[in-house]
Amino acid sequence: MTIKQAAKAAVFLAGFLFLLVTVTYIVRTNGGVKDRFTGFYAEKKNTIDVILAGSSPVYPYYSAPKLYGEYGIAAYPLSTNNQRPKAIKYLFKEAQKTQDPSLFIVELRMFTMPDEEWEDTMAFTRGVTDNLKYSVNRIRAINALVSDKGERYTYYFDIFKYHSNWKTMVMPSQLACWNYEKPHPLKGLEIKTGVGPAVQEDLSGVTGTKEPPEKQLEVLYDLLDWIRQSGKDALFIISPYAMEEEARLQYNYLIGAIEEEGYPVLDFNAHIETIGLDFSTDFYDYGSHVNALGEGKCTAFLGEYLSQHYDLADRRGQEGYESWDGAWALYQTQQAEAEASCLADIENENWAPEVIED
Amino acid sequence: MSITSFYFLCLFALALVLYYVIPKKAQWAFLLLLSLGYFMTSDTVVQSGGWYVVFYLLAAVAAVWGAAIYIDRTAEPKKKRGVLVCAVLFCLGLLCVLRFFKLPLLAPLGISFYTLTLLGYLFDVYYEIGKVQKNYFRLLLFGSYFPVMISGPILKYQEMENRLYAPHKLDYRQVTFGMQRMLWGFFKVLVISERAAVIANEIFDNYDSYAGLPIWVGAVAFTFQLYTNFSGCMDIVLGISQCFGIELPENFRAPFLSRSISEYWRRWHITLGTWLREYLFYPLLRTKFFMQLPKTLKPKLGKKRAKQATTFLAMFLLWFAIGYWHGGTWNFIIGSGLLHWFYIVSGELLEPFFAKWKRSWHISEENRLFVFFQRLRTFALVTLGLVFFRSPTVPDAVRMIGRGFSAANFRILWDGSLFSYGLDWIEFTILAVSLLLFGWVSVRQQKGWLREKLEKKPLVLRWAVLYALLFYVILLGQYGPEYSAAEFIYQNFRA
Repeated sequence: MTIKQAAKAAVFLAGFLFLLVTVTYIVRTNGGVKDRFTGFYAEKKNTIDVILAGSSPVYPYYSAPKLYGEYGIAAYPLSTNNQRPKAIKYLFKEAQKTQDPSLFIVELRMFTMPDEEWEDTMAFTRGVTDNLKYSVNRIRAINALVSDKGERYTYYFDIFKYHSNWKTMVMPSQLACWNYEKPHPLKGLEIKTGVGPAVQEDLSGVTGTKEPPEKQLEVLYDLLDWIRQSGKDALFIISPYAMEEEARLQYNYLIGAIEEEGYPVLDFNAHIETIGLDFSTDFYDYGSHVNALGEGKCTAFLGEYLSQHYDLADRRGQEGYESWDGAWALYQTQQAEAEASCLADIENENWAPEVIED
Repeated sequence: MSITSFYFLCLFALALVLYYVIPKKAQWAFLLLLSLGYFMTSDTVVQSGGWYVVFYLLAAVAAVWGAAIYIDRTAEPKKKRGVLVCAVLFCLGLLCVLRFFKLPLLAPLGISFYTLTLLGYLFDVYYEIGKVQKNYFRLLLFGSYFPVMISGPILKYQEMENRLYAPHKLDYRQVTFGMQRMLWGFFKVLVISERAAVIANEIFDNYDSYAGLPIWVGAVAFTFQLYTNFSGCMDIVLGISQCFGIELPENFRAPFLSRSISEYWRRWHITLGTWLREYLFYPLLRTKFFMQLPKTLKPKLGKKRAKQATTFLAMFLLWFAIGYWHGGTWNFIIGSGLLHWFYIVSGELLEPFFAKWKRSWHISEENRLFVFFQRLRTFALVTLGLVFFRSPTVPDAVRMIGRGFSAANFRILWDGSLFSYGLDWIEFTILAVSLLLFGWVSVRQQKGWLREKLEKKPLVLRWAVLYALLFYVILLGQYGPEYSAAEFIYQNFRA
């Protein structure tokens, strides 16, 4: 084999890898999560100050355009459905590659649930791993999240999973993801319509504690260690929902543990009246997740809290934030429509269909 | 570990690098270690109950190795024959006990292939047409060379001796050709065979729900499935071996371009056909019984007919053996054995009538339409046999064929029914386009390998073709977490 032949082989292989990565990015399943992540990667370098991580109690709860438009805060949610807490550290590391956030926000709902329940459902792991760009951090995330070593290769090379999506390659929206950078018009927000009324039991008298699943506690302490070493600020939040006593006890434990480590916890459930949240109108799925009405209130409360407790720059009008102005304008239109839709549903008592979660 | 699996391909890449890095003298020993490692970690062995099944292989090689040395050193024909019979009975005994007497859980990978390969070597030593291998480990490599353990080809020691043990320099052209051939194999297996299987499975598993043309659509789909699966596997196997600098014998030469069943069997599973002809058919004809038979029959049938009848009887045993080798049950014995014997015998008996008919109709042997008709006829006859091959039992096959003739519903060709057998119109179109591409390449390859022609094209065009095929397979291949790993049909039949 001559040097020329070796060079030719190397170039061919490099071309193949480039095409493989590009094709994989395109055929990864389209949808809200992919849009959120490609949107994150499309953000200009070092323009985001706050990164939110967590599962579904993040992306429909907190509006990045509203945080920007009303408080000047540039925040972005790297959240996925049933996001396993193990993934959060890797998401923050991923965020640091292109951004220099001063605050990490972690939503705690998934810390009260055993990790084993979620590992069996591939989609919840892939929601994270298959929406990251190829990198060493991604490999580490896969190693942490997938315990079956024999299956890991299908995560490393997710073309094994998504090649059957080849038919979507003709979609312009998919082709636009060739480098996994496609601006998200609402900066990762999903506005939810529909109303599913719920009743929140008064748990203010529940002051006891219960230890959350042991593995989740290990993950929490590992995350706290990493945040401390990174020198960044962190805020832990508990998004509002129709909570049961069992969960309340676990949250009480988590609050104690986190505060003991020197980090604050903002429990929205303890401020329902201040937020103005109405369980009979502000949730779309009977108490689990907020609709547009609830999202407006939760975002406002978070914005106020961040403005009061953190020294975050007001990015409004700054150079490089033009797309945020656009997102804020679009949000106002879409939010108004969504709120009107919710109000009409309330007036007509047109309740959302029950969703049975796995 | 399947050879279409990700881990196999990774190990193959790693092994290839090591193979060319280590001293050339040690290459054959490295291949032996690799082969034993592959054998021990193959799905068949793991599912068979554990590593100890490697002793079946070691024992069979030991028996053949010892017998061959003894035969080589002994001058007495009786003793030679005695040792030969003992070794053959030992190897066939192992094969029969493990495979045919319903003990599949104990059967190691490739037992049928390595048994025939080793026995072929022993017969060659016995008939003094082959040299003896005195080094046990070298013979072990010949018997266990990992690429051929999946589905053959069945090796001949004389052909392989110099290739297996010789030092091999890294030859860029050979390695790239090998990889290109592997890619072509993956195309056949993952894109065509796995799709054709969807239609075949639907029709064969529910034949009671279909009548007329759908039955034949299913049968044709199975023919394509089997052929592309088996020949695709061979492409991968031969490609792997070519990367190691070791050329293996071809097992297929576009069998569906055959103009007769006899020609088909010279192009389909060539190494099995050669083995059975050389080590079963010809020795059978040399036995006392078959030498005597024409003389016995001559008074009743005449000289020519008596000779023909003797040959047909020997052929009957040969085809019975081929059918039995494929599965040991009557659907295999008929579908890939006796039915083909019937085709060939009928063809020979009716040849004078055909010749007369062709003369009277002024049909030239080289008339393109006639050639096409002959090829279509071969395809149809083979497909009919494969209905038996794929059906669980002979009565099922007969019922299915009966249903195939029970309706004349040609409208399914244009009323959209074709897309209701498991593949929607897009998947069906991919299958059709891929088959056309495959057919075009098969026809072109009669005049030589396309990759050699491609090699002469400009680099940009060459790479564009390779990238296109690579991504065609990657995107349209049926593999990954949503599919069960592609398995090779012949591996299942004759592991």
